Amino acid sequence: MTLSSYRPGGWFGVFGSVTTLLLPASEKARVAALWSLIDDGADFDEVLDALLQSGLGALPGFVLMGCGGGPTKLLARGAVHITGTADGEEVRIDGRDALTWVERSLDAVESLSLVVGDDADHGLDVEDEACGPVSDAQVDLLILGGLVRVSRVDRPAAAAPPVLAAVPDPVLVPEPVLEPTPLDDEPVTARSGPAGPLDQPIDLPDEMPEAPEASTLPPPPPPAPAPIFADDPLTAPFPPADPLTDALPDPLLDQLADAPSDAPADPEAVDHDGLTRTGAAGEEFSRELPGIPGQPAAPRIVAPVATLRFSSGEVVSVDRAILVGRAPEARRFTSTEQPRLVKVPSPLYEISSTHLEVRPGSGADHGSAVVTDMGSTNGTVLDQPGLGPEALRPGIAVQLIPGATINLGDGVTIQVARP
Amino acid sequence: MAGVELHHGAASDVGLVREVNEDAFLVAPPVFVVADGMGGHDRGDVASRIVVEEFAGLAEGGYDPTQGPEVVSAALRSSQARIAEYDAAQRAAGAPDFAAGTTAVVALVIEQRTASGAAEPMWLLANLGDSRVYRCNDTLLEQVSVDHSVVQELVDAGTITAADAAVHPQRHVITRALGGQGSVAPDFFVLPLSGAERLLLCSDGVSGMIDDREIAAVLAHTSDPRDAADRLVAAAVAAGGRDNATAVVIDVVGLVPDRPYDSDAQRMSLEQKLGARP
Repeated sequence: MTLSSYRPGGWFGVFGSVTTLLLPASEKARVAALWSLIDDGADFDEVLDALLQSGLGALPGFVLMGCGGGPTKLLARGAVHITGTADGEEVRIDGRDALTWVERSLDAVESLSLVVGDDADHGLDVEDEACGPVSDAQVDLLILGGLVRVSRVDRPAAAAPPVLAAVPDPVLVPEPVLEPTPLDDEPVTARSGPAGPLDQPIDLPDEMPEAPEASTLPPPPPPAPAPIFADDPLTAPFPPADPLTDALPDPLLDQLADAPSDAPADPEAVDHDGLTRTGAAGEEFSRELPGIPGQPAAPRIVAPVATLRFSSGEVVSVDRAILVGRAPEARRFTSTEQPRLVKVPSPLYEISSTHLEVRPGSGADHGSAVVTDMGSTNGTVLDQPGLGPEALRPGIAVQLIPGATINLGDGVTIQVARP
Repeated sequence: MAGVELHHGAASDVGLVREVNEDAFLVAPPVFVVADGMGGHDRGDVASRIVVEEFAGLAEGGYDPTQGPEVVSAALRSSQARIAEYDAAQRAAGAPDFAAGTTAVVALVIEQRTASGAAEPMWLLANLGDSRVYRCNDTLLEQVSVDHSVVQELVDAGTITAADAAVHPQRHVITRALGGQGSVAPDFFVLPLSGAERLLLCSDGVSGMIDDREIAAVLAHTSDPRDAADRLVAAAVAAGGRDNATAVVIDVVGLVPDRPYDSDAQRMSLEQKLGARP
């Protein structure tokens, strides 16, 4: 298996045994599911199917690379620039060259560089000037499998530029097992910097084959004092360098290891105790709230659409949801749309605790009231003028005409009148 | 609240794994709160304590029982503001990514006017995050609150089943909480006192460690609410204690049991309503 390397960035990189997928930052909602698929060893076609489930239009860009036997298959779309050599020839692919996507099948791939996002615009410059000034963020990190944020991926792993100023303690790791080319004087450099572990998680523990090999092999010449991969707390398998994590018992570590998709992808959201945590702001589930941010929404002003006259004497106007029953309950409402609860007597217990709901209608029912049986035990009978009595079906809203009578049982009726 | 007698019990345990108990609870009848602080060394315990302090102020100073949702919303907003202040102070002191947060479940007694003008006491429940409110009538346990969590959203969407949710890798990710920039609009629930003979407020250290059947068994077979809370927390710790576990159990005393229904009378009633009988 060929080892890849990546540079941290905004896109998501999903690395599996036979497929590699890169997706833009906007595709966060689906990336975890795709990771799970790829990690299970899904092949090129399966991943492509899953990727296109919601259509191509919803996908601004991607790179899908399949290398499970036979030629290497490549799909590229959007802000993606791929360079490399295959079968002795130069390869250049730009994802923006096609309306749908660019597809290539390459035999005998020697090397590929995938540059994504904004970097794709000047992808070659980045590569060509690899020996020039390189910012701290452009560190090549090795990866075998998992989900990370990337701006560039090299396969096989890039031999990194010699030394970075911000890295005080570079560690050299030879890669005789993973790299098909024979071990020579050019070891691959893996780094662990002070800012490293949190921002750039390297990989999962069970996919860190370097550790055992590294300790059994003689250390390469300069400048590493000793292979410290597994011992160094900074390169310990878990992204959060939290003392609490180290004290966790094994079952919990296993449990954490089962959830790599969220851990490395968004270090901001990682809770240091590994359990409850909030999702990142702007996640797919956070709903837009109307009104001014930070202030409670103004109450909705709804003109009453009908008046209900209860046989018990109560008169209620329908300007919000009204729940009627023997002991009505209101579920899951917000402070601005508090339903009104109307309790009706039911000495024979024929009326359910929350029997029915009347609320101002929306859509086609706008301007009139609608009644819904809330799954009452004994049902509700509605008698509309000009129509015969009908039993309400639970959960189905029916528009109310002024003059209608709602019968709940136990002698309780509601007359519907104009507001 | 005149005429409502509440018996309660509460227990909290740090569990077997964590070093700090970041849960906090309040029992100040008629106000009850459980808050589950998040953030590990970001001091979630401070955030949960802030929520409890705000509601303790509410219980001491009194509140308008007819304006329940507004009262609770205001207390949550001032908690949010204080957590934001605390975050800002910590950031200024040199912790750039500082962000404390907490869940909150609240139960308090409010009043609702009836047709005759009398005030009827009711439970108002509010939920923000994945701490839970259960009610127990006789031996029947029902979860009232709906978690604000990724797995709950997936369950609602039909993507996964409730059983999958218990083992899903993202089960600890919540979508609403105090602290941070997310929404702090809670879900509200109103229950008649007769509809909840016994209420349980708990953090996910209880509901995540023991299943509903076990919770129901403890609540149904322990008559004293103090013992019930102790046993729930002890059971959660015994089941692994991976998180802080907190339980508050509240009994409404002196309720006339509500007879569910009389099936004969009901069948007749439906036929009468449909006009099939003379």
